[in-house]
Amino acid sequence: MKLLTRISLSYIAFSFIAFVIGGVIFSNVIRSIFYTQIDDNLRTEKLLIEEQINYSDSLPDFRLVFGHLIEVTVFNAPCKKYESIKDTLLFNKKKSELLPYRQLVAKNTSLHQRGYLIRIFMPIDETETLIKTIIIALTLFFLALLALLIYVNYFISRSVWNPFYRTLESLTRYDISRSTPLLLQDSKISEFKQLNKTLDHMSKKLQQDYRSLKEFNENASHEIQTPLAIIKSKLELLVQNEALNGDQMRIINSVFEATNRMSKLNQGLLLISKIDNNQFPIAEKINFRLLIEKSLEHFEELISLKKICVTVSFSQSIEREMNRSLAEILISNLLSNAIRHNIEEGEIQVLMDAENLTISNTGHPLTLPPNELFERFRKSDRNSDSAGLGLAIVKRILHIYNYPIDYTVDGSIHQLKISFNNRN
Amino acid sequence: MKILLIEDEKELCRSIEAYLTQENYLCEYAMTYDHAIEKINLYLYDCVVVDITLPDGTGLDIIRDLKKNKKETGIIIISAKNSLDDKITGLDIGADDFLTKPFHLSELNARIKSIIRRRTFGGNNEIIINEIQILPDQMQVMVNGKEIILTKKEFDLLIFFISNKNRVLTKEAIAEHLWGEEIDMADSFDFIYTHIKNLRKKMLEKGGNDYINTIYGMGYKFVVE
Repeated sequence: MKLLTRISLSYIAFSFIAFVIGGVIFSNVIRSIFYTQIDDNLRTEKLLIEEQINYSDSLPDFRLVFGHLIEVTVFNAPCKKYESIKDTLLFNKKKSELLPYRQLVAKNTSLHQRGYLIRIFMPIDETETLIKTIIIALTLFFLALLALLIYVNYFISRSVWNPFYRTLESLTRYDISRSTPLLLQDSKISEFKQLNKTLDHMSKKLQQDYRSLKEFNENASHEIQTPLAIIKSKLELLVQNEALNGDQMRIINSVFEATNRMSKLNQGLLLISKIDNNQFPIAEKINFRLLIEKSLEHFEELISLKKICVTVSFSQSIEREMNRSLAEILISNLLSNAIRHNIEEGEIQVLMDAENLTISNTGHPLTLPPNELFERFRKSDRNSDSAGLGLAIVKRILHIYNYPIDYTVDGSIHQLKISFNNRN
Repeated sequence: MKILLIEDEKELCRSIEAYLTQENYLCEYAMTYDHAIEKINLYLYDCVVVDITLPDGTGLDIIRDLKKNKKETGIIIISAKNSLDDKITGLDIGADDFLTKPFHLSELNARIKSIIRRRTFGGNNEIIINEIQILPDQMQVMVNGKEIILTKKEFDLLIFFISNKNRVLTKEAIAEHLWGEEIDMADSFDFIYTHIKNLRKKMLEKGGNDYINTIYGMGYKFVVE
């Protein structure tokens, strides 16, 4: 849910509750005001009638005096004093329906020691109509006011939160692996100012840490190269020794192989940090069709050794601006992966259309989710000799140029698809 | 044959020197830029092996100096940075070859031999080992005067063996020599075996000797008595 929607909804909900409670209280107050008025009138009338009875001891006909019903009955015996006011329904002959009335019933004994009963009926249907009309009018007025308030509130919120949204947008677009700093626009509101300041501080710290980590990676890989070169050269000299026997030779061979593996690993890491440090800036137009054909030629012997059947289909040739070395590494890694992780007499299919390059190959099922293989040192087969850097390098190269890659596995078919389209 | 090695890592210098001395080269080394400039101005070398990154300068300047004053000297760059820029610049200003650290000593040796061969004999050098006669520029190989037809890989392999005769060549060194660095080692060992088998067969067919020995899973040795 968006912030503004959330604010508006809360606003509407609270206003609604306040409005309902206020409305109930208000209508009750109105009604009680009207009823007090009616009751007062009834009592005044009653007093007038009582005065008449006490004064003249006669029964005047009140029926039409006030335009509503008055009934007075006089008894010969005295009556106990009693008075009540309540609502009732009476049948109206004119309108031939039951209508609401306010009824006053009073019993008392007159000065002439005669009991009397007074009943006064005051029609209240018009009053009720009036109350209803007032409530409806007020409701409409409140609703209009509420709508206006929500509208105004929405616009105020939007302008108040605007710096926040801009900050959010900058954050979304921020990528630590690119050297562009986090640019935040200034705001006059102190909380946003503080937020931006904190974010700015954090991003600078992050970038600094990231940079020193990258530098460490590169320096470490670089420094390891020299001792490795020395070990390799010394081993090569050592094996020239005629006096070595078979067992010693085999031990040296193991050391040699391990050193070579380490050397490969180190070169891979160095390459990754170089890619991350943007040390391949020069780009030229690369024809991927030619590159793939060249690379396949290079791997010809490997392909024929494993008796792999390669199908190539170029419906169109993709040409993109890229660094040549990186493009070569990219294609070479993808194809050598497709060959290395293939099975005997397997298949490789290379498809290219205007925007996508798809390389699929037969192979063993994966033990990991496919997209995890883009991480460093992730390999499906723990015992394999490979360093587990090939796909990590592929991913880094494509990351520079903003081309997405997707790895899917369908049974024994592995498919890597690069989209040369989604440039931001 | 005199060779100057310009490299700031002492142990690496010693290894290279030890390997090259056994090839009957006279090998000297300089570990700083100043020392190197001094040496190349005093003496004449057949080949200079130069590291690009030196503590007090860049190897590229040494190459420029050499090209100005000692045009006949062969130059091989060795560099830890496998940067394309260095390679292009180096070859542009006149270096003959480029090797990335870490490299195999046998590879360096083969490259030095090839440069010296080209520089000393021009286009018509030939290599003769007992009954084998090779014309490297024509890619021609004769055994007992009879020509044998080799594939490109078999020919490269033979030259590599002969450049490093009586030396143990590791499988890795052979693989890198034939296919470059990016090939996966484990996969390529099978081809090496196939190529060596074919090469041996072709030479034996023309009455040649079997020079190639297998060394305990480590590699191969081209033995010439």
